[in-house]
Amino acid sequence: MKKKPWGRRIGVAFILVWSLVPLYWALNISLQTDAQASSKPSNYLPPTPSFANFGALLSGNGDLAESIRQSATNIFIECASATVVTVILATLAAYAFARMKFRGRTVLFYGVLATMAFPAYTTLIPLYQILTNFGLVNTYLGIVLVYVSGFLPLATWILYNYMSSLPIALEEAGQIDGASRMQVLWHVVLPLARPGVISTAIITFLFAWGQFLFPLVLSSDLSTQPLTVVIAALEGRHLVPYTLLSAAGILALGVPAVIALILNRYIVSGLLAGSVK
Amino acid sequence: MTTVIRTKSASAAASPAPGGWSGGPGDMGRRRRLDFLPYALVTPLTLFIVCLALVPAGFTIVESFFRIQPLNPPDKFTGLGNFQALFSDDAITTSMGNTALYMVIGVTLSTGLAILMAVTLQKKFFGRSVLIAILILPWALPGVVEGIVWASIWDSNSGLLNSVLSSLHLIDHYIIFLGENRFLTILGIELVQVWQITPLSTLLILASLQNIPGELYEAADLDGSSPWSTFRRVTLPLARPGITVAMVQAIIATLNVFDQPYVLNGSASTGASLTMQTYFVSFQNLNFGEGYALSLLITLVTLLASFLVLKFVYRPVEF
Repeated sequence: MKKKPWGRRIGVAFILVWSLVPLYWALNISLQTDAQASSKPSNYLPPTPSFANFGALLSGNGDLAESIRQSATNIFIECASATVVTVILATLAAYAFARMKFRGRTVLFYGVLATMAFPAYTTLIPLYQILTNFGLVNTYLGIVLVYVSGFLPLATWILYNYMSSLPIALEEAGQIDGASRMQVLWHVVLPLARPGVISTAIITFLFAWGQFLFPLVLSSDLSTQPLTVVIAALEGRHLVPYTLLSAAGILALGVPAVIALILNRYIVSGLLAGSVK
Repeated sequence: MTTVIRTKSASAAASPAPGGWSGGPGDMGRRRRLDFLPYALVTPLTLFIVCLALVPAGFTIVESFFRIQPLNPPDKFTGLGNFQALFSDDAITTSMGNTALYMVIGVTLSTGLAILMAVTLQKKFFGRSVLIAILILPWALPGVVEGIVWASIWDSNSGLLNSVLSSLHLIDHYIIFLGENRFLTILGIELVQVWQITPLSTLLILASLQNIPGELYEAADLDGSSPWSTFRRVTLPLARPGITVAMVQAIIATLNVFDQPYVLNGSASTGASLTMQTYFVSFQNLNFGEGYALSLLITLVTLLASFLVLKFVYRPVEF
């Protein structure tokens, strides 16, 4: 095919504009004062760039700054715990599915995969009722349990694919040397499967960071609400200036954006391993 | 792409007993009475899936047929009562229309854009991996916050789009994009979701494109095929597996859209989606029975739409 370089240049330009302009715009507004941000026409560059909005959120006192900081702590705790638990449980299960024969393996494996075809919100109301019965609404534990149950099937699938692709000879060598199967998992399989484990961890963390409706329902106050829920509540009040809201948005985007930019190779390989059947 | 090939060989290798020491089907009973280890390894996963996915899903199915109002006990069986109530509620039927529009606009736009982006990235060029990193950014970010980011683009007082359009003298005065005209509102909101879901679609389609052998393009070139007809007769048909998966993920996302309309347009009928109605019905009106029924309805429609795409878009491709 005679690849028309113009076609590609237009495509490249489009991808850049499409992906970056909205993010640039939020950053641009977050660096302006309220008056500057409401001028007509808009300032396409901040006239006097200032981090005052970020300062107000990060070190200011008052309810707003307090709630941003508390919810940032919450989102870190919830995402990190959910990621750790998901990766550990998925690794164990994926190893059994990939390397062991046992009765019921096929049924169980496809049963787990089948849950991925259902929209996540199918279980929103029942999960709320179940957690209410166990007194787990508005606790870290409740939120983490729900996240883990939601992310486990995909994590197991990605790790299963990864482990199945590893050469089995090394594991057999370990076995012949007298290592138990758990020792083989720990000393042979896990080091080899590290890229797969990293992919799974990153994707799980990003999914957890993006959650909104589940924590909106499952956490009722600032003690467990993640950043996403608090920021959306600020938006709804219409009392908070856009500049401050944009700064809060940039804070919530910063962590996943940096992860995506730096570790994108792992994300791409994990997503493809997880989606192509 | 290597990942894809790996996936295929993986599922093929999984069927026969992998490795002698894990025990073939025959020697399971002879050498080891019962091997507990695999069961121990899959038990946590199974517990999570059963207790927090299957049992709740069963709840949704059963309780759809019950009248469940915590403030108005006791619960009682109502047959299809909840479903009848849903279909006679104007707010809900309006949201059904809205959600259908979200899906049609979202699936069409995200798939179309993803095909264009994937074709752009099909061949290696300097900076491609950086471009892919930038491309997946919107996928990695929380949908709610993306809604807030885009709110400052659509804004009717100081938004980017209004500013640009009026600088270009295309409009005399600033336009209200969201909340007045229903179609414009839905288009504006859905574009934000398209922004989020298109990267994954692009990656999926790109993976399909990279499986296409280069000889096919050389042959098409020798036969004097124009770039457009090569695209239509070689690229597009062979990308069908990727396009199918991309469309299915877009269908699941758009039929269940919540974050973007919730932050961009609130509960207003011009943009409220069915998932938003589930939330309002269950957690504001505390009418859980109707909430369950609506969840079940959305789930069934999602499964049906995914199935139809699989049936009509998917074609197996062999090289």
